[in-house]
Amino acid sequence: MDIIIDGLKQGFQLIWSLDPEIIQITLVSLQVSLTALLLAGITGIPIGSALALKEMPGKRTILNIIYTFMGLPPVLAGLMVYLALTTRGPLGQYQLLFTPTAMIIAQLLLAFPIVCGLTARTVMSQHQEVYDTAATLGASRRQASWVIIKESRIGIIGALTTALGRVIAEVGAVMLVGGNIQGSTRVLTTSIVLETRMGNDSRAIAIGIILLAIAFSIIMIINILEKRSFKYGGSIQIT
Amino acid sequence: MEAVFRLHNVSKSYGQREVLNVNDLTIPGHEIYAFLGPNGSGKTTLLRIIALLARNTAGKVEVLGEEVVWSKDQLLRLRRQMAMVTQTSFMFEGSVFSNVAYGLKVRGQRGQEVRQTVAKVLELVGMTAFINNDTRGLSGGERQKIAIARAVAVKPQVLFLDEPTANIDPRSSLDIEKYIKLIKQELNTTIIMVTHNLFQARRLADRIYFMWDGHIIEDGSTQEMFENPKDKRTRLFMLGDAVF
Repeated sequence: MDIIIDGLKQGFQLIWSLDPEIIQITLVSLQVSLTALLLAGITGIPIGSALALKEMPGKRTILNIIYTFMGLPPVLAGLMVYLALTTRGPLGQYQLLFTPTAMIIAQLLLAFPIVCGLTARTVMSQHQEVYDTAATLGASRRQASWVIIKESRIGIIGALTTALGRVIAEVGAVMLVGGNIQGSTRVLTTSIVLETRMGNDSRAIAIGIILLAIAFSIIMIINILEKRSFKYGGSIQIT
Repeated sequence: MEAVFRLHNVSKSYGQREVLNVNDLTIPGHEIYAFLGPNGSGKTTLLRIIALLARNTAGKVEVLGEEVVWSKDQLLRLRRQMAMVTQTSFMFEGSVFSNVAYGLKVRGQRGQEVRQTVAKVLELVGMTAFINNDTRGLSGGERQKIAIARAVAVKPQVLFLDEPTANIDPRSSLDIEKYIKLIKQELNTTIIMVTHNLFQARRLADRIYFMWDGHIIEDGSTQEMFENPKDKRTRLFMLGDAVF
């Protein structure tokens, strides 16, 4: 028990003292995960919506593949990106391996299926009535589709939350393609692994606390956005 | 005379099951037409086809003098001359104003023009005080009045009403009936309603189409249909013995 309490004390001291290395690691983590999430949002929301709203050949198969990739193990995503970016791989000439860009690509591979798949599901769960109402008021297909997406925003925010939770907490993919290089590709999760292995429990705990605080802050912001969107204030009274 | 709607040998099937089969139907326009019949008789299916929300499986449909070919451009052009109020009066997220303004905004209207029209139609349904309210707090009757205002705002030639008072209290129902009559008188709008409320059909409609098992089995003026129905099934329904 003492080891945990001492670790917590030292951890808070490290955070309080604004340890430059920890700040740098935190910033790299945020940069990598938020960029991956942004790219997943930019691509996943329109593709997921299009898959939900358009009838096309092979739609069910595409959706099933996306749903399968929602459970992609991070280390496998890392391996796929590693094989693509290694000097002998198809994208080896760009020399992206062991850079934050490689980590962003790996995390995008994890976040995209979640954003895309959950967006498709939430859009598909909207009632026909949303489209009918917009269409009978004179909306074009594009305008009516936009209304459906807008009405699905709680689910889409949920998809982004889930994707962020997955990328910010994963270690396997970023370790494999980033290499955990100090001052460059070291992030919060890979640091925890490293510090624990080196016996620096207090630093590992400090970094763990920061990771939790970041996740908590982002989820709080998303919760506030979500609550504004709930049709009936986000609470059901069960008496 | 040019009819608002003309249907010839129109059917709708889901797989092997045929839910609608109308040989010939002509709706001249500028009156209130009620489609009556028990649940499952095909009323809503017919309404959705002529409102261009569902395709017929076979047959020819003419809307506002045009044969429907279901092209994107034609659908948009024809739909912009019609509007619908559904049973549950779905409201988009946001305020009463943004809901009523929706049809105007998708037509490219902005600013003062939109504000004036919204104010006018809300006054028509006695809901001026609700203009800035969030639609989440509205009662069923209030929602239905807003839905009517939203539909009327776009000045439709045809207004479809799908069971417009099915989920609301008698007082609000009477209010809504008053507004429906007013819309016909003031705007000369063709109103097509689907209902299984006999009393409402009697109070509102100029002409009644009676549906049974996917077919229109009888039609006539409201007086004829209530006082001297020819078909036995119509008679049973009008007497209230076959209301399901």
